Amino acid sequence: MALFSKRHRLAPVALLAGLSLALSACAGSSSGSDASGSADETVNIGVIYPKTGQYAEYGRLFEQGFELAVKKVNADGGVQGKQLGLEYFDTQSDPKQSAAVAPKLVADSSIIAVVGDYSSGSSTAASPTFQQAGLVHYGFNNSSPTFPETGDHVWSPAIAQDVYQVYNANVVATKAKKIAVVYIENDWGKQAYGYFKDQAAKNGTEIVYESSYLADSTDLSPILIPARDANPDAIVQIGYGPDGALVVNTLRDKLGYTGPFFGGQNTPEFLELAGDNAEGDIITGIFTVNSTDPLVQEFVTDFRAEYNEEPGDFNLTAYQAIIDLAYAANTTSATREGIQEALQTVTDFPSYQGTGTFKFDQETRRVENPEPLLLIVKDGKFEVYEG
Amino acid sequence: MVDTLIAGLIHGNAYALVAVGMSLIFGVTNVANFAHGSVFAIGTMLGWWFAATLGWGIVPTLLATLVITSLLGLLINVTVVGPLSKSPPIAALLATIAVGMILDNGSQLVFGPQTRAFPEILPTHNLQLGGVRFGTSDVVMLVITLLSMVGLALFLKLGKSGQAIRATAQDPDAARQMGVPVKRIQNLSFVIASALAGVAGIFVGLFNSNINPASGSTAGLAAFVAATIGGLGSMPGAVIGGLVLGLAEAVGVYWWGDGVRDLITFGVLILVLVVRPSGLLGKRRTIGAEPLTGTFLGGGRPVRLPWWALVALVAAAIAVPFVLGDEVAGVGTQVILFAIAAVGLTLISGSAGQIILGQAGPIAVGAYASALLVITFQLPFLLGLLFGGVVAAIVASLLTFPVWKLSGHYVAIATIGVGAVTVAIIRIAEPITRGSYGLTGIPFPTILGHTLFSQDALYLLDLAVLLVTLLIVTRIRASHLGKAMASIGSDAVAAESLGIRPSAYKAVAYALASFFAGLAGALMAHQYTYIDPTMFPQSMSTLVLTIVVLGGLNSPLGAVIGAIVLVGAPELLRIVPEWRIIGYGLLLILIIRFRPQGVFVRK
Repeated sequence: MALFSKRHRLAPVALLAGLSLALSACAGSSSGSDASGSADETVNIGVIYPKTGQYAEYGRLFEQGFELAVKKVNADGGVQGKQLGLEYFDTQSDPKQSAAVAPKLVADSSIIAVVGDYSSGSSTAASPTFQQAGLVHYGFNNSSPTFPETGDHVWSPAIAQDVYQVYNANVVATKAKKIAVVYIENDWGKQAYGYFKDQAAKNGTEIVYESSYLADSTDLSPILIPARDANPDAIVQIGYGPDGALVVNTLRDKLGYTGPFFGGQNTPEFLELAGDNAEGDIITGIFTVNSTDPLVQEFVTDFRAEYNEEPGDFNLTAYQAIIDLAYAANTTSATREGIQEALQTVTDFPSYQGTGTFKFDQETRRVENPEPLLLIVKDGKFEVYEG
Repeated sequence: MVDTLIAGLIHGNAYALVAVGMSLIFGVTNVANFAHGSVFAIGTMLGWWFAATLGWGIVPTLLATLVITSLLGLLINVTVVGPLSKSPPIAALLATIAVGMILDNGSQLVFGPQTRAFPEILPTHNLQLGGVRFGTSDVVMLVITLLSMVGLALFLKLGKSGQAIRATAQDPDAARQMGVPVKRIQNLSFVIASALAGVAGIFVGLFNSNINPASGSTAGLAAFVAATIGGLGSMPGAVIGGLVLGLAEAVGVYWWGDGVRDLITFGVLILVLVVRPSGLLGKRRTIGAEPLTGTFLGGGRPVRLPWWALVALVAAAIAVPFVLGDEVAGVGTQVILFAIAAVGLTLISGSAGQIILGQAGPIAVGAYASALLVITFQLPFLLGLLFGGVVAAIVASLLTFPVWKLSGHYVAIATIGVGAVTVAIIRIAEPITRGSYGLTGIPFPTILGHTLFSQDALYLLDLAVLLVTLLIVTRIRASHLGKAMASIGSDAVAAESLGIRPSAYKAVAYALASFFAGLAGALMAHQYTYIDPTMFPQSMSTLVLTIVVLGGLNSPLGAVIGAIVLVGAPELLRIVPEWRIIGYGLLLILIIRFRPQGVFVRK
């Protein structure tokens, strides 16, 4: 209503302004997409993420990581002498909303790079706008190998599924010859399962039952009954934490399955939901809280002190993303161009995952030679699995 | 297989308990209460809070939850649904959708978004049948389902208030004249149903074990499907509908995998509606006001603007990206995409008076058709756009074909199913559509060799399509065809007696609406450059319909304003992210309450 009347009032003004401008400014993008030379005391990283909606839990985990990282960066002197800030944009991880906010981020000249979104659908809907404006889109949670294909400003430090699933299939092969697999029915799950299946075939692992499941399913018995009845040596789930817990709980509590289970996610949520049922579960992850690496320990200690909770993969990747971009800005300049240049040239990004330093593969715009960890649940906690 | 049937029945039982309450409210007030699922979800979260956080046992947890949800139900009826009793029931339906948004997001704010385990206040897997374990909780839930079914059925049949409830359902005015306190009776039905929803929240929470505050809309939709299958308004029907749905899903998923679950759920819905429109146990009723049809008109006609005002508006719209910048233009493109679909929808939902709740279907078809044609056959963008519209119209018409023989609100319910089935088919047709992988690398729109990728260029393209849409729709409305459609919307019986076949003209109007929805989808695909089936959820269908209702069902220009308010305003409300969706819901309720004929319509 308010908007309507505002439009009405604006109509004559806009008419005049519009006609004159339309003649002169036809195709070119007129408004500011250039951040260099900003004299502000704060430079910002734009965040597109699910603050509300069905993925809000991931948004909460991300935010914990972001805030902790910004605190650390500013305590260490900020970026190029300026304070680092965050500009949050809630998208509900919905492509419609991420596409709508993308121009806002572009127009805000204090923003030197963008991180997010949670899902690749939502991230990819926003990427073209950032690419077009020369603003780095750092999709730290987008493990789909195709995510950076939109253009040379689209990067992802996330370990891609083609790497993860090779590790996953290999460790499964050491325990089982015949397996049943269930995976989440979305772009991520399909891709991940595709890579898993290829590697399983190479390893000679026989897949005796497979089915996808929808993210909002509350009862998975109808696919887990045939999975159990196919008498596999192990059952594998490829998906997220809550659904991983649902699968293993249904298998163990409702269907009496006692064999090995591979699945779930390195989050406290998964461990809490699955409880004892997760014992002995092996997954791929990026870190453990018990790592002796000094940077990992620094993160874990700071995180516990700040939130009084155990950190998981989603906290760490969000944290790392901000640290990476601050490191990039400090190496070159705290501008949009500086970030892009740094991602192309810096070879020693410090890793908080216990792998020393990393750099980007300039072809794929992903981390070169990433090393996922194998983690096993012991006494309700993830520990590094040595094989 | 036996195990699967057992699992299906146990799950169906969970559907049934929620469906009973939904059916009760529908039977009494003629309102399809889409907030019911949210009340149920709040019941789950309350149960969790009492049992896990406060450490209460089953009895106090149940009682406290039941009291709070029944008060919540009362509140909903007193503040939102009740005051709309004089408006067409579609107003109340949309208001309950808004209430659902507020409840879901409020619950998330209060309890936090994470998924958690429901505490085992009753054993959940201490019993075994075949190879499936279940618990005392499931048995108690079944007993409660059956007791509430029998109890409510007897109460409605024999009890004094029950008879009053039935009288109210049949004819509120006559009931009032006979001294039935209609308001109190309707309040009572909301209280009973919401108390049941709270109880269901606890037992279904025990059954699901994984719970979170966002589960309301999915549960509500499934319960609505169950209640419809059984026959809306029938208590035993709701239970049978729930069990049928649970069994059908279990068996279908056992055979084809869980990826087809939506197809089964909504396929069963359409099948039942086509074969037996009033549901398995429902009685064919002759109610004057069909709950999901009818328009707000009668009250209003679209505001007509003089030509110079139209020119000024168009010029202002063109000027937006140049004056207000890329940021506003970016929001503007989203507004326009939904406006295009909504303007098209005024033909069927406005003129022909048929509410459509599944427009995400044709939008998705248009998006996929255009993207695939441009990617695979290197078709020029403009042809892809056109074909997107054409294919959407054809596919939507084919899928909806069996539905037109239905009457009244069953058509609207069936369109929910058609929308969901369309998206489910796209997901399954992986060889063609790449299914859940999504389509990546869709080229930006290219016109005369120029690739449009900047916000202002895309905005102007969208605006051009919107203007063409408005022109065509206005011309159709003024034509003989438009008059025939409008006659159906005003009085289907009178129209039929003049030789105008309502179902045929509704089908034509729907095909036209789907064409424009397809155009919107095609534009969307080429602007996002990525699409996948999750991008076309039921909430998108609801949004398109709400836009039209808001602007005035019969006003194409109003649909544009509706889009500005409903797509643009949430962007403005970003100042308070957590409260954004709640504010949006409140806005919707206020508009429905105080300007039910639409904002751009005069009395």
